[in-house]
Parts: sequence; structure tokens; C-alpha cells
Amino acid sequence: MARYPATLTAANKQGYNEEKSFRGNKGVPRQSLPPLLAPLSLDLEESTLKIVVCMKETPSTEVPKSLGADMRLARNPGDTIINPFDEYTIEEGLRQQEKLGGDVVILTMGPGATTEPMRRALAMGATSGVLVSDTALAGSDAVATGRVLAAALKKLSADLVLFGQSSADAYGGIVPAITAEFMGVPLLSFATKVEVEGNAVTIEREADVGYTKATAPLPALVSIAKAINNNPRYPSMKGIMSAKKKPLDTWTLADLGLDAGTVGTGAAKERVTGATPVATQRRREIITGSAGAAQRIFDFLVENKVI
Amino acid sequence: MTNDIWAVAELEGGKLKNISLQLASKAAQLAAALGGQSAAVALGQGAQAAAAALGATGVNAVLVSESDIYDTYLVQPATDVLAQLIQQRQPKAVLLPATVTGRDVAGRLAARLGLGVEYNVTSADVAEGEIAMVVPAFGGQLNVNATFAGDGTRLILARQNAFAATKTGSGTTTETLPAPAAPANGAKISGPFGTEGATEEGHMTTVNGHPQYVPPPSRSNVEEAAIIVSGGRGVGGPEGFADLDALAQALGGAVGSSRPVTDDEWLPHHHHIGQTGRTVKPELYIACGISGAVQHQAGMQTSKYIIAINKDKDAPIFTFCDLGVVGDLKAIIPELTKLVQDYKASH
Ligand SMILES: Cc1cc2nc3c(=O)[nH]c(=O)nc-3n(C[C@H](O)[C@H](O)[C@H](O)COP(=O)(O)OP(=O)(O)OC[C@H]3O[C@@H](n4cnc5c(N)ncnc54)[C@H](O)[C@@H]3O)c2cc1C
Ligand SMILES: Cc1cc2nc3c(=O)[nH]c(=O)nc-3n(C[C@H](O)[C@H](O)[C@H](O)COP(=O)(O)OP(=O)(O)OC[C@H]3O[C@@H](n4cnc5c(N)ncnc54)[C@H](O)[C@@H]3O)c2cc1C
Repeated sequence: MARYPATLTAANKQGYNEEKSFRGNKGVPRQSLPPLLAPLSLDLEESTLKIVVCMKETPSTEVPKSLGADMRLARNPGDTIINPFDEYTIEEGLRQQEKLGGDVVILTMGPGATTEPMRRALAMGATSGVLVSDTALAGSDAVATGRVLAAALKKLSADLVLFGQSSADAYGGIVPAITAEFMGVPLLSFATKVEVEGNAVTIEREADVGYTKATAPLPALVSIAKAINNNPRYPSMKGIMSAKKKPLDTWTLADLGLDAGTVGTGAAKERVTGATPVATQRRREIITGSAGAAQRIFDFLVENKVI
Repeated sequence: MTNDIWAVAELEGGKLKNISLQLASKAAQLAAALGGQSAAVALGQGAQAAAAALGATGVNAVLVSESDIYDTYLVQPATDVLAQLIQQRQPKAVLLPATVTGRDVAGRLAARLGLGVEYNVTSADVAEGEIAMVVPAFGGQLNVNATFAGDGTRLILARQNAFAATKTGSGTTTETLPAPAAPANGAKISGPFGTEGATEEGHMTTVNGHPQYVPPPSRSNVEEAAIIVSGGRGVGGPEGFADLDALAQALGGAVGSSRPVTDDEWLPHHHHIGQTGRTVKPELYIACGISGAVQHQAGMQTSKYIIAINKDKDAPIFTFCDLGVVGDLKAIIPELTKLVQDYKASH
């Protein structure tokens, strides 16, 4: 039911305006209304809020990392986890759903994505999942990633799209803006609070002093700062059992109408030419005992002209 | 494509952020090595006033544009102006700050114009007519060498303190750019809010029912600070941060922390340093009651000097510090603060 700028999509579905103004006017989530009051003429499928959480699979943080001969991160398929930042995002998506109703769809792109992190996200409570998986995606840079996510999000008719603040393997923090530009929609980044009201989303973002707010019409993208909530939920036993039966689609580039030449290693403009382990020389002068310690630190600061 | 190099400045509340001068200095240096022209671009409230400081870094030109529209909408107006300018003038590379705003502008430019973007760059030089960069990877365990292929303007997102700010130039020209149009479905900004209680004193407050210590704004920006006094779980609670703040004040530095400290809201979130928090590179980092987990190390290991205070002699922090003290921070910090205060009073 999402509406994107006319030039970018033809998906301009029925039921959008009624549903948005309905939620906006009453100020209550549709889920909490008695069934008799629900507008009978609306196609439920078409009118629920669709929240999509973009989730990257990253190598487990416990495993030592190295670059392969192709100068790319050597990945071991069994060892992927939900990008730690995206756990906060999934949590936020589920909390929004509890408030507003609708669906939470998990979207992941990868050359040969494993389904373990996806299963875990579904076990946390998401409604369904989509994997965009294609061998042509190997070596994709941030622009290619955004291109693919944007195409998948349009196909999903997402209303509210949530991203993490960055990945824990590459730390770009740039895929959300790239995706927003390809979709022609606003991005509210680094949110510490998200509020959907009627047809708009408002976020708060921490400033050096206090916070700022930003508001945009839906459909919109939001990236979530880790600071939003401290405790992403653990999947319950019931969640784990039901996750096995939840819908999980796999799409290829062809399903998204994308040309393989616009993604993967061939399309990337960045080149890695080498890598060296970091070895910092530290003095490691260790002294024991609190007595005299302050004086030694003070002398160190003066010796090294720090003060 | 020309051999010109640009730096995009960042203004916040009309004030030029430090990183802008670092990027402008680097742009001047890279352009000189390539035989091109350098420019700094400043957009939004305060741009005109920032031109002199940007020009003093040695750039050939400063491009400015002031309009309420930049400060009313998130990044879209700045993207529009920069995209047009890049298409018209074809610079070889554009340096942007790896801040929230810098990333959002770079991402949109890359998608709109089909450009490559290298991020988290900590070093950039010219080699064989191309820009050769260094990017730390995997929590700083590895330095990756990166460059660009093909044509098209190169977008480079540089980390805070990656480059030194220089003061060489004078006689820069200032060019005023046309004002942007309001974006059709733009994200509107308002605020800042919650600044009422902000004082120049550190104080205790309550957040989500927990006590929290709030250092004053002048000691809250860890990314721009030359000295950081950082505390971990070993500080014992929010109240303990008053002592660290007093030391930071005496040293003219900022207060940092490990992640559990901000997870438990002993301090506001923007003090958190490490893999999932801020990356810092101060002259001096004093780690107090921080064990030194790799995820913490990732955010502070490029500090010039690291001093650790920890009561556990086997704490990992002692393997990557310049001076380590096995002792009780509660006794040492106030004594050190006094020594620094006395020294500063007499110098
Ligand atoms: C060490 C290293 C350095 C790299 N440097 C660069 C570089 O300089 N330039 C470049 O263009 N590429 C670079 N890459 C490639 C980069 O990992 C991929 O482009 C990646 O697909 C997206 O970038 P990111 O991980 O930085 O995402 P970020 O922008 O950090 O991710 C932010 C959010 O976007 C969403 N997201 C990101 N990727 C996916 C996905 N695959 N599926 C679903 N959601 C997703 C998630 O919500 C995530 O929290 C690098 C990779 C590595 C390992
Ligand atoms: C994916 C992931 C990302 C993470 N990201 C980050 C991150 O960005 N930043 C980060 O910091 N952590 C991060 N962590 C957490 C990290 O692994 C550690 O748990 C954390 O850094 C420990 O914080 P700490 O040193 O304050 O606490 P502890 O490890 O509990 O150490 C407290 C120390 O204080 C000492 N101490 C106690 N009392 C005193 C005293 N009176 N005087 C002197 N010393 C005293 C103790 O000996 C101890 O060494 C991350 C973890 C994961 C899994």
C-alpha cells in the first residue's frame, strides 16, 4: 500500500488513503478495535501497515577475521549472525507493530545467504522474511546493496523501512541513504525514538546537547541508533517453533528486474589493493600500588608534553 | 574529470565542526599533488562566516551557500546542490566527514550520480595519479589499502582526526552558490529540544528511573577532544563519574566510557567509545576501571598515549597501554586532579 514517487513505481494501490486517515483520526491501532467496527469494505491484505526491517548477516564477532586472496572478507557460511545493530532494529520493528498493528517483514540480501539469522529474526516475532540471493551479488559494494534493497522494498510496497546504524563488519552506515535515494523517499537517520502518527513518521536524534526531531511522510526509511532500546528480545521456545512455519521467500535479481551488470564485483568502483595487520608499539610501563601512582601519571603527562 | 579536490564542511547550529578544517587541509594537499584546484564547500547557516577559517587551510576557493532551506530539511537540499555542482565541474574527489550527515549526503550522491564511495578512511595520499587510502577493518586489527577504478568523481568519507588541520593559505576566493529549492517530500527538522537543563556544570539527573551523571556540553564531545578521561564499570556507578569529570575539566578534556556504562545509563549514550560507539583518536586516553575488551579497544587504540588505571593486574588493557597503574581509581583520580590543577594554576 505504500506510495512511491510516480516516476519510480506504478504501485499506487487502493485502500491507502482510507486506512491512513482511519488510523490517524482515531489515534488507535486497528488491532485493538472490536471486529464490528473494522471497515468492512477494506481489503485487509492491502491495508495493513507494512514494516520492513533490513537485516544484514555478518560474521560472528567471536571469529577472527581475515581477507581472502580476492581481497574480500573470507566468509564462513556457518558462522553468520544477525548484524548486532540490526537486533535493535528488529526489536524496534516489533515494538512498532505491537503499537500500530500490521506486519514486520525481514529483508536480507547476500550472495548465498544462510537462513539461520533469518530464522532467529522470525523467532523473535517477525511475520515473514525475504532473502534476495544471487551468485551475481558477490562482491557488491554499498551502492549495489542499496540498489537491490530499494528494488526489493518497492516490490514489497513497504510503508516504514527500518535499518541498523551500521554493519558490524564493514561499518559503512551508508546503505540506508543509498537505498533512500534509489527509492526517492526520505530517510530519517540515527533515530533514538520513532513515532508513527497518521501518515507521517517522526524521529528523535541525540545532539551534543539535547536532541533534534525530524518528520517525514510515509513511505519513509528510518535508521535506528543503538541507543534506542537496550534489550532486544530473545526468541521464546514458542517463537522458535512457530518460526519454522513462517513464510520465507527467496528472490533472485531477475525477480527484481535488475541487471547482473549493475551489482557485484564488476560494478564496484572501490578497489582493495592490500592489507597489513596493525601493530602499535606501546611502552607498557606498569607500576603497582595506588601510593605514588598519581605523581607518576602526572610526571608522564609533563614528560610527554600532554599538559 | 578534472584533478580538483573538494572538501565538504559540516556546520552544526551555525558553528563549523573541527573536521571541516581537517578535510579542507587535506583537499588542498591532494589537489596540489595532482596539479588541480582545491575547494571547500560550506552549506547552511554560518557558511559565510566559516569561509575565512576554511580559506586559511590553503584551499584555492571556498564555495558558500546560506539558506533556511538547508536547516529546515535533512540532507536533501545539500545533496541537490552538491550533485549539480559535481556534474558541472567534475572534481576528481570529494572529501566528506564520516558523520551522520556526511554519510547521508555521500550515500545519496553515490546513488544519484553512480559514484563509488570509500568510507571510514583514515589516510589519503596521491600515488601514480590516483588517490590511495587506508581504511581500518575488523575493529582495527587490519589496515586495508584501497583505491578507486574507472572514472567518475570519487567520494571519500573520512574519520574524525584522520587528517591534520593546517593553517597556510590566504587570499582564497569566495564564491556564493545559488540557494536550493525545498525538496518535494523532504524530512523536516526541528529543535534542538531538551537543552534547558544544559549548564556548564556536570550534574546528576534521572533517566528512565535510573540515576545518571551528565557532564557539561564542553566535556561531552569525545570525537573532538584532545584528551579523554574514560570510565568503565570499575567506576562503580554514575556518581563516580563526577571525579572523572573533574579530572577532565582540569585537563581540558572530555569524559568517555565503555559500553556497559551507557547501557546502564550511568552516562548519556554519546559518551560510549568502541566498536559500537564513537571512534576517537585523542593525544591522551586515560582508561579508568575499563578492562580493555577488544570491542572497546577498537574505538580508542589509535590514541597517541594510553594510560590505564585498573585494580586487576591481569586486565587486558595493560597489554596495550603506555603507562599502566595497578591500583584503585577512587584514590588515584582525585589526587591526580589536584596535581594537574596546581600545575595549571602555576603555569
Ligand atoms: C572491511 C570492509 C570494508 C568495506 N568498505 C567498503 C567501502 O568503502 N565502500 C563500499 O561501497 N563497500 C565497502 N564494503 C562492502 C560492504 O560490506 C557492502 O557493500 C555491504 O553490502 C554494505 O555495506 P555496510 O556493511 O557498510 O552496510 P551499512 O551501511 O553499515 O549498513 C547499515 C544498515 O543497512 C542494512 N543493510 C546493509 N547491508 C544489508 C544487506 N546485505 N541486507 C539487508 N540489509 C542490509 C542493515 O539494516 C544495516 O544495519 C566493505 C566491506 C568490508 C568487509
Ligand atoms: C558486539 C559487541 C559490541 C560491543 N561494543 C562495545 C563497545 O563499543 N565499547 C565497549 O566498551 N564495549 C563493547 N562491548 C562490550 C565489551 O565486550 C565489554 O563487555 C565491555 O567493554 C566491558 O566494559 P568495562 O571494561 O567497563 O567493564 P568490565 O569488563 O566489567 O571491567 C571493569 C574493570 O574495572 C576494574 N575495576 C573495578 N573497580 C576498580 C577500582 N576501584 N579501581 C580500578 N579498577 C577497578 C576491574 O578490575 C575491571 O577490569 C561490545 C560487546 C559485543 C559483544
